[in-house]
Amino acid sequence: MITQAIMDGLINGGIIGLGAIGVTLTYSILRFANFGHGELLSWGAYVALSLSAALGAMLPSLSTPIGPFSFGWSVPIALIGSMVLTALLALTVDWLLFGRLRRSGSAIIILVMASFGAALALRNLLEFIFTSKPAYFTNALQISKPLFGGMRATPDQLLVLGLAFITVVLVHLLLTRTPAGRAMRAVSENAQLASLTGIDVRNVIRLVWVLGAALAAVAGVMSGLLVQIRPTMGLDLLLPLFAASILGGIGSVPGAMLAGLIVGLAEALTIQVIGAEWRAAVAFVILVAVLLLRPNGLFGKATA
Amino acid sequence: MSSEILKLQGLVSGYQPDLPIIQGVDLSVSEGEFLVLLGPNGAGKSTLVKTIAGLVPVHSGRVYLAGADLTDVPTHRKMRQGLGFVPQTENIFATMTIRENLQLAAQILPKARRAARIDAMLAMFPDLASRQTTRSGALSGGQRQMLACARTLIVEPQILILDEPSAGLSPKMVSEVFEQLVRINASGVTTILVEQNVKAGLQIASRGVILVEGRVAHDAPADGLLGDPVVSELYLGGHKKEEVTA
Repeated sequence: MITQAIMDGLINGGIIGLGAIGVTLTYSILRFANFGHGELLSWGAYVALSLSAALGAMLPSLSTPIGPFSFGWSVPIALIGSMVLTALLALTVDWLLFGRLRRSGSAIIILVMASFGAALALRNLLEFIFTSKPAYFTNALQISKPLFGGMRATPDQLLVLGLAFITVVLVHLLLTRTPAGRAMRAVSENAQLASLTGIDVRNVIRLVWVLGAALAAVAGVMSGLLVQIRPTMGLDLLLPLFAASILGGIGSVPGAMLAGLIVGLAEALTIQVIGAEWRAAVAFVILVAVLLLRPNGLFGKATA
Repeated sequence: MSSEILKLQGLVSGYQPDLPIIQGVDLSVSEGEFLVLLGPNGAGKSTLVKTIAGLVPVHSGRVYLAGADLTDVPTHRKMRQGLGFVPQTENIFATMTIRENLQLAAQILPKARRAARIDAMLAMFPDLASRQTTRSGALSGGQRQMLACARTLIVEPQILILDEPSAGLSPKMVSEVFEQLVRINASGVTTILVEQNVKAGLQIASRGVILVEGRVAHDAPADGLLGDPVVSELYLGGHKKEEVTA
């Protein structure tokens, strides 16, 4: 039973980790905690659901399940479209709200409060358009298959875990091996010095929104595939996302992923050992413990 | 006669609109010149160079680089147009390695030139070459200044502006940094150095400009200022206001 809880925790942790990467990147570069990030997951899932449904209606063959999975090609194609559209949504919110506040020199707390407002607006807009009734990418049932050590997982779950791992490696390589990644790290460390190095900080901020929102869309689609799609799915994940990004160390992509897995495992083991009603408390306990014991997180930057 | 690289025309600037710190500076810097900017604490030396770099708002007046008006150009574009600025503190990316700092600075160059320019900087600063994978935050104060210079020079700026690179360094480190600055200037890079140490600054520069209360009080060849009694009086704390009018 414990081994199964570990498998469930890793799968859920992969989704939390992907979302936490977006939180940690926006936090480290824009210097504020964006409480609207969870809504990008929800929007990502709903946009993909709409695109997938539209593709399936136009070309029914795209809805035929691929191999052992529960979904057809319409979902991966819709995922790509959703990454683009969710990124556009994040850029629009920044243009309408956060960018104006930054330019007027608003205090961090104003940006944080504004993010609460943005989250409320985005969540209620989703509920208005799609209602609060749960939605699904597919109605196909999947039977979990035995793996090893008594663990079982569905093909969809294994795909999500693998995709999360590949995505983290790609984002890590982007940040450490490419000029765009170096520019992001530079702005994160010292935005003024970055501009003195010829970097257009505004472009880097746009890139961070695009990357964070695209990853949120991936996490939202994954969550929608494995559980269900609801307007409050992002809100429910918000605390675990923040717990993971702070535990991992603000600005650290591998840290966010590892911490996402830790939070996911802690949640799953809590359900197993203590009871499902305590699940929501786990992320909060981790968050408080990290802030008290190791505020820089596991991979917090050592600045000189 | 060398051509004019930098020209400041009636420059008034400051952090707040109603509180100018720089109060009407006219200055012309020729190609290849080594100018040291001196003045008592609070004279506006750092504010002036930060204004040139675009870090302090201009209230009125113009900033020209090689004839182009850069007054309203954002900082990152000024750097791409040939202005090099080394801030006094936090002038390197401490969490990155030496090589990453150089790669970052080189990425505004055409791809084909980047590797050659990184190699050129490592040849100019051999101390850095042997420690390329060292995290920059672990460097000594002098090495940090060297890396900050290399980071700025890598794009071959038309003018290099340094805001008190000697601050916080030991006397030995200061002389090493100054020797390097002399070499950089001798290689043809127009240099503006903000310095608190009047004597040391005037000894390495070709021209001295003394700023007092946001205005140019003296502008003369460095040799001449070194022996000027007014200069020594200014820096011994006993200057009279009427002696320092521009």
